[in-house]
Amino acid sequence: MNRGSDLIKGPHRRRWGPQKEVEEDRVEELLELIWTLREKGVFDLDRLLETTSDIEAKSILRWMIRDDLFEMEGNRVILKERGEEKAREIIRRHRLTERLLHEIFEMSEEEVEEEACKLEHILSPTVTDSVCTFLGHPPTCIHGKPIPRGECCTKFKKEIKPLVIPLDELGLSEEGRIVFIAPKSHQRLDRLSTLGIVPGSVLRMHQKSPSFVLQIGETMLALDKEIVRNIYVKKV
Amino acid sequence: MGSNQSTETKQIRSPREKVILIGNPNVGKSVIFNYLTGKYAIVSNYPGTTVEVSSGTLSAHGKRFQVMDTPGVNSLIPMSEDERVTRDILLQPSKSHLVQVIDTKNIRRGLLISLQLLEMGLPFTVLLNMWDEAKSRGIEINIQELSKMLGVPILKTVATRRKGLEKIKENLKARPSSSIPIHYPEAIEEGILRITPLLPEATLSKRSLALMLLSGDESLTQWLNDHLPEDVISQIEKIRQETQVYFSDSIGYLINQARLKKVDECLSKVMRGRGEAPRSISSFLGKLSLHPFWGFPILLIVLWITYEVVGVFGAQTSVKFLEETLFGKWLLPPLITLIQHILPIPLLQEFLIGPYGIITMALTYALAIVLPIVGCFFLIFGLMEDSGYLPRLAVMTNHIFKKMGLNGKAVLPMVLGLGCDTMATMTTRILETEKDRTIVTLLLALGIPCSAQLGVILGMFASLPLFYLLLWIFIIAGLLVVVGYLASRVIPGEESDFILEIPPLRVPLISNVVVKTLARIEWYLKEAVPLFILGTFILFILHKTKILTFLEWAATPLIVHLLGLPAKVTEAFLIGFLRRDYGAAGLFMLSKVGQLNPHQILVSLVTITLFVPCIAQFFMMAKERGLKKAFLISAVIVPLAFGVGGVVNLVLTFFGA
Repeated sequence: MNRGSDLIKGPHRRRWGPQKEVEEDRVEELLELIWTLREKGVFDLDRLLETTSDIEAKSILRWMIRDDLFEMEGNRVILKERGEEKAREIIRRHRLTERLLHEIFEMSEEEVEEEACKLEHILSPTVTDSVCTFLGHPPTCIHGKPIPRGECCTKFKKEIKPLVIPLDELGLSEEGRIVFIAPKSHQRLDRLSTLGIVPGSVLRMHQKSPSFVLQIGETMLALDKEIVRNIYVKKV
Repeated sequence: MGSNQSTETKQIRSPREKVILIGNPNVGKSVIFNYLTGKYAIVSNYPGTTVEVSSGTLSAHGKRFQVMDTPGVNSLIPMSEDERVTRDILLQPSKSHLVQVIDTKNIRRGLLISLQLLEMGLPFTVLLNMWDEAKSRGIEINIQELSKMLGVPILKTVATRRKGLEKIKENLKARPSSSIPIHYPEAIEEGILRITPLLPEATLSKRSLALMLLSGDESLTQWLNDHLPEDVISQIEKIRQETQVYFSDSIGYLINQARLKKVDECLSKVMRGRGEAPRSISSFLGKLSLHPFWGFPILLIVLWITYEVVGVFGAQTSVKFLEETLFGKWLLPPLITLIQHILPIPLLQEFLIGPYGIITMALTYALAIVLPIVGCFFLIFGLMEDSGYLPRLAVMTNHIFKKMGLNGKAVLPMVLGLGCDTMATMTTRILETEKDRTIVTLLLALGIPCSAQLGVILGMFASLPLFYLLLWIFIIAGLLVVVGYLASRVIPGEESDFILEIPPLRVPLISNVVVKTLARIEWYLKEAVPLFILGTFILFILHKTKILTFLEWAATPLIVHLLGLPAKVTEAFLIGFLRRDYGAAGLFMLSKVGQLNPHQILVSLVTITLFVPCIAQFFMMAKERGLKKAFLISAVIVPLAFGVGGVVNLVLTFFGA
């Protein structure tokens, strides 16, 4: 990659030289953009330049071509194998992060977007796969776009068995062991715990409509969907 | 429900030795209480209705014991009014024998309480009740081992068949308390060590009190202030906050978690088998009544039976006999003649037996009209409670009430409202938060016609095409949902979580239901009847002072111009405030003599349904919610009733109906 920065000409070279990470991030952002535009059926370079917020996009793109990340066919941007691979990874990290922040930490979509943009650049492959497994190898992001499959997903290809799911996704008459309960209020948590609903307890989904009815031991409990959604279980 | 706490406290202070029954909800405490005392208590499946503490007498070992049946609890760190009452009873210094009742198949939850009793340093006896049900599920428990582990005697019982209950008396003797070590997270243990030296001597162990205080139990505030100086209390609060800093979860939750872990540890040594419930008709029906599809036909059948008993048998057959025959022919005429003879003062005569008289109106109304309706309702309510259908009803209707910012539990006062709104306002006590209660009180006052009114309203629609009735239902129901939705957003406070335990469906014990119904009728007579008398008295004054006539005159323009109704309707509306059905009956008379066209009938009925509740209900609102809220609610309702009536009038005129 040092080779790349050597090739950059012009006044920015001085700034990019020592701060390689910044450059890497910007390359990743552009790869991400190429990928998302491609999902919309857009390959046009002009549109890419219009959409990007990076004012120095042109020179970075030029560098990227040299780095063998993509090539131009007329005015069309075509990812090459290396670029495809890198783009896949960054998209995967971004969309998995979105789901993690939105579902588990219950952050708003705007907050999620901001944080995901930062985190996507720093997650290691191992952590990414752990997040993916934790979330149960989700096929789509919170906006419904596909999350590129990773190594960890293909291992489960035959039977995608999520490790931890929100209780409301537990199938009828299936049993789940509580992994954690996202606390909405302390009082609710205290109350649930007096009924035996704590991490480690096994719950059985009795029915989901018109209300959620669960069985814990020999006790049947009716609960609101919001409460059920905040309980995360592992199927047993 | 729960009005006799003051008398209970008196009994609590009596020096006699006590037997205190304690346990989770629906474990059969009340049946055991009845066995011990030979007297029935309110038994209930619905969380919230056993706020009362029943007490009775038991003779054993040549002594007389006072037996107390406490409300069901899931924890002794109170999360509800019920749990608080129970914990407070344990906190009372007295010589008592504790008997903990456990539903054997739910032993895990039962032992959670046993551990707390052990921590409190109280000696107690454990009854593993419903032993047969657990056995038929293949659950086996090594009683000797468990008894050794806990250091308390354990009895196997089947309370409904009186099995094993005779041994309770043998165990009513003094015993040393035992203990079992539970290890809480390090920081909590340290908090306990810091708090215990600050506490005074009490009935309960200092360790248990320290745990309650660490979990931030606000219900102990009163006790703290009675026993400790202010600076010590703030010192304790400081320790609590310092301890909480170590954890992201609440301390109470962590404490429960540690206790459950201990319970599971004990159970793994003494319990075997975890079976499925055996198939039986009642478990089949129990499942069916919750079924996403079949649950609804069952719900409709139950509501239909309720309507047949309350609406037809209670409100029509019984009322007809009581009002027309018993009161109208047999009781009132001789009474009126008697009063006219012995009380020659016209004003007093009118006060008692005039058109707004205490006897002719208030008592006739309360006893001949409302009593049979409410009595029938209580009977059905009792059957639902005892059979375990009540929580199922709440489950089936939860999502409808969710839209109004309420939950399924609100179905109960709403259904009762169709019988008598005054009573229904009182039963909003079964709801958990003040916010829920306020919304239901508002909706009851706004759009739930009581049976007396409903009867007259349905009678009037009978002469019109079905379309008008459907339109009326649509307008009222729509408005209830909209107002409920808005109210849930405007009214401050916490929405209650819908966490409801569903007991198995059982064949109700008729004797239990009868006693319960009678107890509630007594409660009605004591609490509601005085309000009917007060309401009638105010009406009498308004009538005598001619204020009624003045109000009529003042309101006429509104009625004529906004609603497009004849001036005579004003009288019906005003009377409607004092007695809902009288108001509707006034309209009925007008439509009968042809003064109202179908369009006007609809407008007037929509308005009077929404219009201010009767005066007794207003008083009940003031009593339950406070005078300020009662006025606020009325201030919402009056413009809304006339506004909606006006809009209906405009729309109908526009479409030329």
